Amino acid sequence: MEKIADYMYALDESAIVAITDQIGIITYVNDNFCKISKYSRKELIGQDHRLINSGYHPKSFIRNLWTNIAKGKVWKGEIKNRAKDGAYYWVDTTIVPFLNKEGKPYQYVAIRFDITDRKKGEADLNRSLKEISDYKYALDVSAIVAITDQKGIIRHVNENFCKISKYSAQELIGKDHRIINSGYHSKAYIRDLWTTIANGRVWKGELKNKAKDGTYYWVDTTIVPFLKADGKPYQYVAIRSDITERKKGEAHIKKINHQAIEHGKVLESKNRQLVDFCNIVSHNLRGPLINISMLIDFMDNSESEEEKNEIQSKMKPVVNHLMEVFNELVESIQVKQDTGITADKQYLDHCLEKTVVGFETQIKNYQANIRADFSKAPWVFFPQKYLESIFANLISNALKYKSPKRDPEIFIESTPVSGATLLSFVDNGMGIDLDLHRQHLFKIRKTFHKHPDAKGFGLFMIKTQVEAMGGEIWVESQPDKGSTFFVKILNAEV
Amino acid sequence: MSSIKNLTLIDDDEVFIYLTRKTLNKTNLVDHIRVFENGLEALNFIKNNLDNQDELPEVIFLDLSMPIMDGWQFLQEFSKLKLDPKKTITIYICSSSISPDDVARAKSNSEVSDFIFKPITAEKLYDIVDRL
Repeated sequence: MEKIADYMYALDESAIVAITDQIGIITYVNDNFCKISKYSRKELIGQDHRLINSGYHPKSFIRNLWTNIAKGKVWKGEIKNRAKDGAYYWVDTTIVPFLNKEGKPYQYVAIRFDITDRKKGEADLNRSLKEISDYKYALDVSAIVAITDQKGIIRHVNENFCKISKYSAQELIGKDHRIINSGYHSKAYIRDLWTTIANGRVWKGELKNKAKDGTYYWVDTTIVPFLKADGKPYQYVAIRSDITERKKGEAHIKKINHQAIEHGKVLESKNRQLVDFCNIVSHNLRGPLINISMLIDFMDNSESEEEKNEIQSKMKPVVNHLMEVFNELVESIQVKQDTGITADKQYLDHCLEKTVVGFETQIKNYQANIRADFSKAPWVFFPQKYLESIFANLISNALKYKSPKRDPEIFIESTPVSGATLLSFVDNGMGIDLDLHRQHLFKIRKTFHKHPDAKGFGLFMIKTQVEAMGGEIWVESQPDKGSTFFVKILNAEV
Repeated sequence: MSSIKNLTLIDDDEVFIYLTRKTLNKTNLVDHIRVFENGLEALNFIKNNLDNQDELPEVIFLDLSMPIMDGWQFLQEFSKLKLDPKKTITIYICSSSISPDDVARAKSNSEVSDFIFKPITAEKLYDIVDRL
């Protein structure tokens, strides 16, 4: 008997205990019961047990409880009760029917444990779980999501991923993520991505991927490594959004920009030509015209026959000069207009041979030595007329501006430079002071030596011709040492 | 009427020189005319006569487009010369150019008094002398 009393004591101390009769009227409650229900013992004894009903459980639940215990079976379950002050509490409940000799219950002993905190924890957990699943849902409907293990094997893909990559989920799961590699990105770019995420850091960037049908798509990508307790990633979650349209737009804008710049360059060059032309007209045509008009004025006002003759003798050279400048101008404009001129394969040694014939007398008189090496680039793709003009003008200049101290040496060489051909004409002549003349060197009617034959047209003309074919011409020179003219020929059909 | 003792023409156009000489002679405004075919020759002369003020011109008519050293280059070199502050050399650009760029550039150059469009007529000369 003492043992039973001990048990009773232990039970009273640890559990919430109540006893009701067979119809549910409370006949006994312990202190724990009073404490949790906030009723006094007086208020409870003799009351129906439904006093603490919370109304939370469905009728079927309560009916099931009563059916069981009325049959003499023990019932276990979790019940939400209401305390006197209206607060709810959860109790883990065991109801044990005490049976009479007929086997019918004559009272019920209810042993309860307070599980309110646990229930609250569960509710919090459920709320968190719901929130997480809501997040997941939101992510799944809005983004392209894939999860890979730490080696890059795909473990999960969402519908959006399948839609954009045109693979089914079955085709993707278990495959290496590289299945959608486009090969577009540099190795360094991909290496940076892997280094970042393998070190547990988030990577963000734009990636070009390849779909199953071979088409490409661009995705703005965030890869989040999920880390184990030791800080090493065990999986990677990649969240992407489709930016293919934006990328297309960017490419389009880039193209348009490029075109605009090209147009701008053409306009700039046209404008420069126009300014050149304006300068030529104002410097080179207006000058002689003024002289003619002045000479006529003087002639009209002159009374001496002698003076009239003198003035008249001045007239002819001015007219000739005007004529010459005018013809040169027309010729240079023809080059600019001559878009129909065709480039052909021209062998440089043939061109040189042909040119040298024209200068035979001068070469002989000056004891000039002309050498050439065209072995590295034997031919160019260029209009014959222009190539001959380049050779004739540069050789003519080299002979005309030879040094008075030495016999002329001319060396012509061709070298291939990334698709183009570079011609160099080296001489040992008087040279040009480039500090003074660099800006004017290739301009019309600019001369740099006091030479009776200097007209200032040759270099202007060949520059016009070279540039009309997309090439370049420039010079390096030292006074008294000689000059080297460089001509870059594009070898392209214009 | 005041006149110019020394006037220098820097121009490579022979006919222009001939015509301008004729015009100057008619006006009797100038005692002595010196001609240089390009900027370098004129510059060298001035350099050699820095101590010889009577030989230096009071007025220079400077062409722009010339071989060897053009008008712009001459102006650049001229500005580096150490002239006696008592001696003023008035420079007029005298060009056949009607390019607005040239005119603007000339006017922004502190060495240049004015831009004269060719030809040089008697009327223009009277104006210049009046302004000296």
